[in-house]
Amino acid sequence: MNDSMVKVYITGTGAVKIARHYPLGVRDLAFQAGKQALAESGSDNVDFVIVASSLSYLQAPQLDLASYIASSLGLHGVRALTIEAGESSGLAALETAVSLIKSEEASRILLIGVDKMTEHPSGPTYAMLQTLYDTESDAYYNIGHASIAALLMRLYMEKYEVDRLTLAYWPAMMHMHAKNNPHAMLPFAVAPEKVMTAMPIAEPITLLDAYPLGDGAAAIVLENGDELEGRPLAEIESVVSATGMPSPALRDDPLDLESLRTALGRLGGLEKIDVIELHDSFSIYGLLELETLGLAEKGESAKLVAEGYFSAEGEGPLVNPSGGLKARGHPIGATDVYKLVEVSRILAGTWQGVKRGGEETGMIVSINAAGSSARIALLRKVSG
Amino acid sequence: MTKSLPVWWRRRIPRYRLISARCKDCGKIHYPPRTSCPYCGSSNLEEVQLPRRGILESYSVIYSVPGDNRLNAPIIVGLVNINGVRVIAELTDVLPGELSTGIEVEAVVRKISETSDTGIITYGVKFRPVLGADSGAGQDTGEA
Repeated sequence: MNDSMVKVYITGTGAVKIARHYPLGVRDLAFQAGKQALAESGSDNVDFVIVASSLSYLQAPQLDLASYIASSLGLHGVRALTIEAGESSGLAALETAVSLIKSEEASRILLIGVDKMTEHPSGPTYAMLQTLYDTESDAYYNIGHASIAALLMRLYMEKYEVDRLTLAYWPAMMHMHAKNNPHAMLPFAVAPEKVMTAMPIAEPITLLDAYPLGDGAAAIVLENGDELEGRPLAEIESVVSATGMPSPALRDDPLDLESLRTALGRLGGLEKIDVIELHDSFSIYGLLELETLGLAEKGESAKLVAEGYFSAEGEGPLVNPSGGLKARGHPIGATDVYKLVEVSRILAGTWQGVKRGGEETGMIVSINAAGSSARIALLRKVSG
Repeated sequence: MTKSLPVWWRRRIPRYRLISARCKDCGKIHYPPRTSCPYCGSSNLEEVQLPRRGILESYSVIYSVPGDNRLNAPIIVGLVNINGVRVIAELTDVLPGELSTGIEVEAVVRKISETSDTGIITYGVKFRPVLGADSGAGQDTGEA
């Protein structure tokens, strides 16, 4: 943790609706989100552009991506840096940006998350997504994007005697929430029974358990609190991260998200959180995260979800008001930046989607693959 | 996915022979062998041949098959426990409906993938349900 007294605020947000954007390339998407965020922050004046992108390296190869995106935004002469950490790229970029501002190396940063997933047919795209997992062990085989999650889901169902229908309530809740998210890819309701009986893609995972393949870009402007140009929407309180075992096969308990557990330890305790955006590329990861964070006992999270404990009307913290990776969508390197946009808007009171009102603290969680790395960001409402 | 021959070639031996690594410092065994022990970080490792038989702890039948191997759908992936060492690998010689967790499986060598543009064909260990002990099929050593 950085001991700097500098406070870091989000003063601008932008997000493109996640979709199959065939007419738009990586730079077009990044441009749209970036311009929105800059406009909300009130100024195009930034001294650093940080781009979180992952799959684009394989989908539409462009090295030194951040510099090209900065140029396309007309930001000449700024410093620029691309950050890649798989599905956790966005929070890795945030971690970098916060540290640059706290160390006073930068004062105003445009952080853009962008990825394309539809430049190729789904078969080659699954092969690219497979490289999120360890290519020297599990991904030596044709594991695709879903089978490791499926192995863990079956283990979970058998170990804790949770039936398939109970596990279908997570996607159902995500779809319910996404209905009100203006940039969600799948804004429609789905009944749990439909999830369970949908076409299998990696048994026991069905099509309706899995995140969609969509393109997207989201952006935020981050500022040093002592030199604010824009109106602060939320304060970044902390960002922590940790690496974990490269394969769940190496864990004593394959269901133990030890990278997230380690990252949580670095936060040094958790106060009451009002709203949480978890990483649910597949439902099982969202459920294991709830249990790792101590928000549910081991083996109990799916039941709590089915009972509505984490919904807008529930007693627990509000989980994934965005609709999650499942229904908002999951353009890999951009996803965490969507979460930052959504949670900032909830804390600032400008969110159009699902909320309870009065949220003061927010948490964002991401992992790559089955937990090769994990990151947590804490956001706080700006008082006054 | 990988279209580089050296990437496949340098990993072939442990992939054909189910050779794991035992850490001489912490004693833990992992497969496939890594440059250093994933548990304690030591690079003081020795090769250990794993037994060919293990227990199927979990499995998934994949229909969203990646890349050039789509014609082979469905592909079955399993989590196999061999005396406490876990291996994630494809399953073979079995239909999806014949599987259940807890069954005994054994290692055989099979084709893993074939890349259309480079022609690279890769092989490695897959697991199949143990056939009858006297059937003869189980005599195949899997140690190419």
